[in-house]
Amino acid sequence: MTEPSVLVRPNTAASPLTAVSASNSRPGFRAVWEGWTNRVFTMREDRFFLFLAVLIGVFSGLAVVCFRIAIEWTQIELLGSSLSPPIPRVILAPILGGLAVALLVIYVFPRARGSGVNQTKSAVYVSNGYIPFDTVVGKFITCALAIGSGHSLGPEDPSLQMGAGIASLLGRRLRLSQEKVRLIAPVGAAAGLAAAFNAPISAVLFVLEEVIGTWSAGVLGAIVLAAISSVVTMRAFLGPESMFRVPPFRVAKPADLLAYVALGIVGGLASLVFLKWLAYARPRILSLPRWTQHFQPAVAGLLIGIIGIRLPQVMGAGYPIIDQAMHGQFTWKLLLILAGLKILATGFSFLSGTPGGMFAPSLFIGAMLGGAVGAIEQHFFPALPGNVGTFALVGMSTFFAGFLRVPITSVFMVIEVSGNYTAILPVMISSLIAYGISRSYIKVPLFDLLARQDGLVLPSVEERREQLILTVEDAMRVDAALVLEPGDKVTEVIKRLEAREDLLCFLRVRPGEWNLIERSELQRLVADASPTHTLAEAKSKGPLPFVFRDMSLEEALHWAGDWPALPVLSRADLSKLEGVVTLDDILKAFRKVPVG
Amino acid sequence: MGPRMSSSANTIAVGKKSPPIYSREVVLFGCIALLALFVLFTATISRMYHKKIHVLADDWFDQGEASFRAGDTKSAWTDDRNALVYSPNNTKFQFHLAQALAAAGRGEEARSYLLSLLSESPGDGEVNLALARIATHKGLIPEALRYYHSAIYGEWESDPIGMRWQVRRELAEYLLDRGLQQQAVPGIIALADSTPPNDTERLRVVGNLFLRAKLWNRALDVFRAVSSANNSDEDALLGAGISAFNLGQYNLALDYFEQLPEKDRSSPEIAEMCRTAQQVKDMNPFVGELSREAKARKAANALSLATARLRECAGQDGQSLSTAPQTPLQEALPNSKQISTKWSWQNIAKYPETMDEAMGRAFEMENAAATACGEPKGADRALWLLGHSRGVPAQ
Repeated sequence: MTEPSVLVRPNTAASPLTAVSASNSRPGFRAVWEGWTNRVFTMREDRFFLFLAVLIGVFSGLAVVCFRIAIEWTQIELLGSSLSPPIPRVILAPILGGLAVALLVIYVFPRARGSGVNQTKSAVYVSNGYIPFDTVVGKFITCALAIGSGHSLGPEDPSLQMGAGIASLLGRRLRLSQEKVRLIAPVGAAAGLAAAFNAPISAVLFVLEEVIGTWSAGVLGAIVLAAISSVVTMRAFLGPESMFRVPPFRVAKPADLLAYVALGIVGGLASLVFLKWLAYARPRILSLPRWTQHFQPAVAGLLIGIIGIRLPQVMGAGYPIIDQAMHGQFTWKLLLILAGLKILATGFSFLSGTPGGMFAPSLFIGAMLGGAVGAIEQHFFPALPGNVGTFALVGMSTFFAGFLRVPITSVFMVIEVSGNYTAILPVMISSLIAYGISRSYIKVPLFDLLARQDGLVLPSVEERREQLILTVEDAMRVDAALVLEPGDKVTEVIKRLEAREDLLCFLRVRPGEWNLIERSELQRLVADASPTHTLAEAKSKGPLPFVFRDMSLEEALHWAGDWPALPVLSRADLSKLEGVVTLDDILKAFRKVPVG
Repeated sequence: MGPRMSSSANTIAVGKKSPPIYSREVVLFGCIALLALFVLFTATISRMYHKKIHVLADDWFDQGEASFRAGDTKSAWTDDRNALVYSPNNTKFQFHLAQALAAAGRGEEARSYLLSLLSESPGDGEVNLALARIATHKGLIPEALRYYHSAIYGEWESDPIGMRWQVRRELAEYLLDRGLQQQAVPGIIALADSTPPNDTERLRVVGNLFLRAKLWNRALDVFRAVSSANNSDEDALLGAGISAFNLGQYNLALDYFEQLPEKDRSSPEIAEMCRTAQQVKDMNPFVGELSREAKARKAANALSLATARLRECAGQDGQSLSTAPQTPLQEALPNSKQISTKWSWQNIAKYPETMDEAMGRAFEMENAAATACGEPKGADRALWLLGHSRGVPAQ
């Protein structure tokens, strides 16, 4: 991010565009064009990267608009416009859709298969930001067909990957540096996800939390710009409304939050069940003969169609059904049944290799579970103030946090998609409980699990996030040095050193300037037999670089090799020595931390 | 997202075929041109899509409305729900869905939609009214009152004055149905104030509400105004008669009742009122045109009627009227000598100033008997009512 290189402007005299501008009869055009190109092409690559992020955002936003329209149009054509489609369509649409998707994925778009999140991660960590553009086209077509025909999957994960693919293509074509091309895929991913969810903050958080794994200031700016520009683009075509409308809600007493604790537990357990099932079944489905891949999505479609005969709500992404649940349209029993069947239907679609995302289904399942808990509360404890809509909203965040293991994203996402901030406290409580339960019983998060099942060892963002950061405090020794002043008499210092032979001698020249005096030097001065020698006459090493106790050990390591010891000073008083750290101390501290 | 081993491998395999190399200006210019085309394409597709879903939404909504009008509330809310899928933020659709749900007895579901609408426009009169109605069905009186008041002071798209008047009326009827007269009175008075004086239809409604709230004076004023505009308005005559009767203006009541057609007067309640009013009129000695003798006879008759009622009541109550007066009944009874001499009709006729005292004693006896034995009937009731109309307080 900090590279100072200024892009060398390509030879514009030889460029075809310059020729075009030269042939233009209007005298002002050339000047305008050259002024503009000068500004754009002579900007530092960092700034050009930000400009490109906006461009990526607009492209991704447009792609997501077309994608969403394609899904809904397909759904209307295949399943009809009613929420309760006729039975023949319910059965045939997902079967035929599954069959078509299988053929397209096997013969035309083989890269369309797989998790968009993991493919974007592997672009960052494995393939230097390269995502082939046919993946974008393949995702668009196959996912629109799959979701539109009623498969229980969502459009967010494909949107994320489409954004990443567009970004990768633009980065390559615009000949960005290798580092920038590698970093640009997450920028596009954020743009795609933001447009799909109409939620820029959550998209930024998700990409930082799950794809990149670090809060890198250099990429953050580009990611935010891309997310905002994609959402603005999307809203220009599809409207600014929030995805869900939640009835008003307030928490009257702290005790009212207890029901949300229960929801957190329910959501955590449900996400465990779903994760365990996927973890168990997926390797077994993958081990089936290759020819079965032609029929797996169709079989999944048949099973979903059978469920859909009685409960068509489980088909497709299910956003209208979430809205209904939020408005208390279902009894608690039906809500529980819908949650259970959606887990089944989503599992069928996902395990069959049908392209599509898990975000929308996990929101659906969470909303149904939350609505059920809310409806049960209302039924058995009518005096409590909660309403089903708020529970459904909190449930979405809860299951999302437990299932996808992105607690921060889940909190912000629910607030953004509903445009309602009143539920933030219950959302945080419930999501963190679900996340805790999920983590306690399944060590590897979903996306890492899928990557490992595919034979990829992508860095686990969750593990990285929780890595212990060692500080100087973990390595420093407190009583290992004697602080000396330039006016101290050498003979007295020698006496003080007699008791502790391992003590180092730090000479405090002035605040912030510390030197090291070796014992041999003191011995040399004593050997002169002059009792009036002071330390000001001694040869010392320094000034020493100093460190603070809260600095990371990696930082201390930069200097530790060059000096026998480093003083650890107080940030409030640079004349105060708090401890000493040596290279050996640092290495010992690193060795103490268990690896993995 | 059905991931496969091969998929990830495919992604990792970096494309080795180098794309043709163009200068950055060319690529960027191409990108912007492509972006412009993409915007145009998306705008076209988006317009077509929106047109399609608007048609779908309107079709479903129209079907829902037709079903609602036909009384098929289940189909109505199913269709409205479908309409809402294609126009999720359409408040009109949401409101109609809520109405259909409420009509189908799914009040809680309707309430949820209405609360959403209310959060967007808290002052919406229609939404508040719908919520008030749901609250009335659930028996939640404070909530119903809150929503009714919000509806009264809320915003209405068309005919706000008329709608507010209707809501006030509905609220007043709701309160009166639940016997909450005290709470209903301010609303009815406000309703009367907001009723145009020439709108006899609405004045009639207001008058009836005053009757139900027992605000006889106001009811009489309203019905008088209506009957003065149309002196053959049966409802107004009836209301005015009842109001006058309850105000103790029996002659006026009789005047109004007599103007009613025979069929209206034959109802048991009205017939009873007419009979009582006539009896009061017949018993009343305080009429200026009567001769001294006629007044004296009426006063003496009243006294003997009241004495008989008192004795009968004392007998029912097991009290002896011959002992020293201790109870209100005993205290109310004058001694027999007084009755036979001082308050004989001849004596009253001779000394007309004693008539008031005699009638006062008669009213006192009727009051005491009514307190001990319950409201009187027939002629006693007429005498008792006459006392009230003369300002004798009930004990």
